[in-house]
Amino acid sequence: MKRYDLIVIGAGPSGLSAAAEAASKGLRTVVFDENERPGGQLFKQIHKFFGSKEHKAKVRGYNIGKQLLQEAADAGVDVVLNAPVEGLYPDHEVTVRIGDSLRHFKGDAVIAATGASENMAAFKGWTLPGVIGAGAAQTMMNLHGIKPGNKVVMLGSGNVGLVVSYQLLQAGVEVAAVVDALPHVGGYGVHAAKLARTGVPFYLSHTIVEAEGEDRVKGVTIAEIDNKFNFIPGTEKHFDADTICVAVGLSPMSQLLKMAECDVPDDPSKGGQAPRVGAFGETSVKGVFAAGDVSGIEEASSAMIEGRITGLAAAESLGFITKQELEAETAGLENQLASLRRGMFAPGNKGRKITETDEGIALSESLLTQGYVADDEIARFPGVTKQRGIHPVIECTQNIPCNPCQDACRKGCIRIGKDITSLPAVDTDSQCVGCGLCVAACSGQAVFLVDEDYEEGYASVTLPYEFLPLPETGARGTALDRSGAPVCEAEVVEIRTSPAFDHTNLLTMKVPADMAMTARFFRNQKTESEAC
Amino acid sequence: MMNDRSRDIGPFVPAPDDDMIVCRCEEITKGEIRRAVHDGMYTVTEIRRWLRAGMGLCQGQTCSKLVKGIAARELGISPALLEPASSRAPMRPTEMKVLGREEGACA
Repeated sequence: MKRYDLIVIGAGPSGLSAAAEAASKGLRTVVFDENERPGGQLFKQIHKFFGSKEHKAKVRGYNIGKQLLQEAADAGVDVVLNAPVEGLYPDHEVTVRIGDSLRHFKGDAVIAATGASENMAAFKGWTLPGVIGAGAAQTMMNLHGIKPGNKVVMLGSGNVGLVVSYQLLQAGVEVAAVVDALPHVGGYGVHAAKLARTGVPFYLSHTIVEAEGEDRVKGVTIAEIDNKFNFIPGTEKHFDADTICVAVGLSPMSQLLKMAECDVPDDPSKGGQAPRVGAFGETSVKGVFAAGDVSGIEEASSAMIEGRITGLAAAESLGFITKQELEAETAGLENQLASLRRGMFAPGNKGRKITETDEGIALSESLLTQGYVADDEIARFPGVTKQRGIHPVIECTQNIPCNPCQDACRKGCIRIGKDITSLPAVDTDSQCVGCGLCVAACSGQAVFLVDEDYEEGYASVTLPYEFLPLPETGARGTALDRSGAPVCEAEVVEIRTSPAFDHTNLLTMKVPADMAMTARFFRNQKTESEAC
Repeated sequence: MMNDRSRDIGPFVPAPDDDMIVCRCEEITKGEIRRAVHDGMYTVTEIRRWLRAGMGLCQGQTCSKLVKGIAARELGISPALLEPASSRAPMRPTEMKVLGREEGACA
């Protein structure tokens, strides 16, 4: 039996972070993962992450994955792939399937970073081919380059449902509707808004009645539900669709920890059965730690920090570093973690209805129920100002832990302050030069540049654009408002791409002056005819 | 507490979606699960052993929460109060020939 100082189960964001941190302290560390590629879900995440610089904000997930793999390799971590861990025993022994045999390993410490699995929803026809998890859709598109279908109905409006819906659009798939049984959009408003402005409708307080079709999905019927989750007769709506994506939450994959006799209570606020852990990820069994989604469903950013803390704790438990070193090194990490766990989407706010921001501004009800901020609501947010000449308009209306826009502006136009969850405010005294770095830096695609004096009678609106093919300068099309409704003709007057924008293109369109605060998306005429 | 068989949970009432498959690996329907509760299976472990729901290829990865939800609703309690099924090795479907080729075990 082979021995290691530390065995990490799972090569996702938390496992790799834990392994890299522990190995850098001198622990002989191995990571086992059942998949053929490392990185967990990171390599499927083609969007830019939220957070601050320390959290790798505005870096796309797959690039974070590359950085982590490199860090683990540099630290001397062994990563063993295609190696499902079949058992974890209280004496730190693990059995791993490698090739055609089952092998035994023993670690002085073990970190379970096994992540989560997707929940399913059962409705009539849910076993038909064409009903897939949102994670499966992401795997097909972003790892294998395959479109999961041509027309999708998304069940679930949490961040997974919203992010995957957007990626489906990017892959050229039509998203017929985003449906959620809850009365409010579950994920970040900015994720919902970037879908809504392309014309994707939201149906809140609705769920799927039936997936239609004999041998595969051909359509979907949804209906409104009352507060006891019963269908309201007469509210049925039908969509033609060949795919239903299910994004109704994640459950910790804690089975190995249960097997190792850790205390694993059922905690709905953590998404299911999650191990009871201390401040450093230590479970109730000595030498067995847990990090990332397995100890409570959160974002990858939190998982990476938890992994680092747990890796250091494992090092301390084996005497590689002292208690003082552990506390000194984790203090900064704990602060980073605390900053990610603030704001209205903080774990402690789960299920609570919040009606105003920390600044005391009433939240947009339209954003929560339709996916977009209504015209008569937008002006009350501090990122939205009226100025002469070009200036940023920041449609960021919820307290989420994210601040790259503030760092992006070198002219000091954007102010968030030291509290990372504060709403960005636009300073009307600073002079915007229209560089567009803030537009590209916003992971939520919520920053626009508006110039109401672009030309006599016309305004220009610069928006983040992550679709291909890119329209050409001079292309004519239709401007859509925040709800995705066509509002006026528009002409593309500039397309900017730059390595500094990291694949977020800046599209500037010319619209009638009175549309400056209404037009928020561009639809190319040519694309429409191609789709027909 | 939750598997107190003397508690009256009322009669089994047939429902239109009783023929919906919940555990796809073992092809167990919602009606079978609901009926099992009325037959006295008050825990997920009992339902598993009685019906094999959650004991197929995916080892309950897909349906265990659904089974739990259905049973809890039938019992009129929160799913969090239902004792979960136990976890055992092997965690993933493993052929006997692999288990037979065990290497490096303690003597």
